[in-house]
Amino acid sequence: MRDGQRDGSGEPGGPARRRGQGELEAQVLSALRAAPEPVPAGWVRERLGGTLAYTTVITILTRLRAKGVVTRQRAGRSFAWTAASDEAGLAAHRMRRVLDAEADREAVLTSFVSSLPARDEELLRRLLREAGADGGLGEESEGRGR
Amino acid sequence: MGVFVFLPLVLPLTAWPIARLAEHRLHPRVATRLLSAVAAVLGLCSSLCLALLAIVGTAQLPGNPLPDAWADPEVRAAVPHDEVIGKAAVAALAAAAASCAALLLRHVRVRRRTARALRGLPGAQVAVLPDELPYAHTLPGRGRAGRVLVSTGMLAGLTSGERRVLFAHERAHLAGRHHRHLLLAGLAARANPFLRPLRTAVAYTVERWADEEAARAVGDRRITARAVAKAALVSRPTPAPVLAGLAAEPGPVPRRVAALLGPAPAVRAWPPLFTTVGMAVWTAAAGAVVSAMSSANSAVTMFLILRAATPL
Repeated sequence: MRDGQRDGSGEPGGPARRRGQGELEAQVLSALRAAPEPVPAGWVRERLGGTLAYTTVITILTRLRAKGVVTRQRAGRSFAWTAASDEAGLAAHRMRRVLDAEADREAVLTSFVSSLPARDEELLRRLLREAGADGGLGEESEGRGR
Repeated sequence: MGVFVFLPLVLPLTAWPIARLAEHRLHPRVATRLLSAVAAVLGLCSSLCLALLAIVGTAQLPGNPLPDAWADPEVRAAVPHDEVIGKAAVAALAAAAASCAALLLRHVRVRRRTARALRGLPGAQVAVLPDELPYAHTLPGRGRAGRVLVSTGMLAGLTSGERRVLFAHERAHLAGRHHRHLLLAGLAARANPFLRPLRTAVAYTVERWADEEAARAVGDRRITARAVAKAALVSRPTPAPVLAGLAAEPGPVPRRVAALLGPAPAVRAWPPLFTTVGMAVWTAAAGAVVSAMSSANSAVTMFLILRAATPL
């Protein structure tokens, strides 16, 4: 939790305000992951030091739920929250959104392989077959066809 | 200045032969550095000359922000000018500048968004993200802050040896700062469309460079080839229909695999002059030098004339 404040703008003056939404999401998620059982939002707020407004915590929990990384269940008149995935799951969700937003992302992010037209696929398989390097490639293609 | 100011606009054509040949005949590291350096020089000189043409061509237009004295008849006589070319140069310069700015903005945006997406993750260099969509990307960063992003969907399709290839390949991108070469070539291609083949060539040689580094790190060219091929087969999108016979040349991935199945390329800084590739290299180098000289000549001439014409 302390780390989060240091990660922000680094200014000691503005504690919670300066933290970006993304960072808050990560903090709420890691707090929830430390919970032994489904916990109410107030527990998360306490765990984060109590500086955040209760509604902020609810907003972030709701947003995390939309991303599928936390779940909730009825507990009396309110909800009890559980982490459904770890920080990597949250990052994966966000990353997918970045990748979807950038149609031409290969101009910026170097990727391991570029997209493969259909005609290249056959060529690729033939190349590997001829070189005798197709360990496991043939079976896989059959499995895919079924 | 005369014809010299137009030369840098067309001299990028001298780099076409090497852009075509570098892929097969040069070591990918040498090719990447050579091509991106040549592209940067040619793109810069071409933009400079475009700016000179724009200044000369628009000095006599009413309402321009340039000093009035630059439009005096004596200055006009000393500087060959043409209103149509001047206007065209202004438009071309504006288009190139806007295009370059858009590319830079996109770079900043993607890097910022990606960094934000990864916030909260432990700071290891390799981040494995649980996602069935197969992808593997390198996110450049300042100093050692660069990261490798690999999805579990990608890793699931590879054996442990092939995963080592994947990580070695991505680390080579980071260590070699390949994104800088790509950005340089990309900006050059936007400054002068004649430089586009160089951008395409650099995008390919950068991947080849990382492939060769990975093959060296893993010590097995064949498994490297297989990793590249399998990753491509795993991550191919829904195949788009291809018109038969339209696409004659195989795409980059089969060419990379074929290169890896062949022998390792020899590292040679400069190929001998009297070979095809040697001629191509020297043609491009000469083109870059002539381009630099003529744009410098034009710039200095124009600077001297306009300084003499500007009342202080």
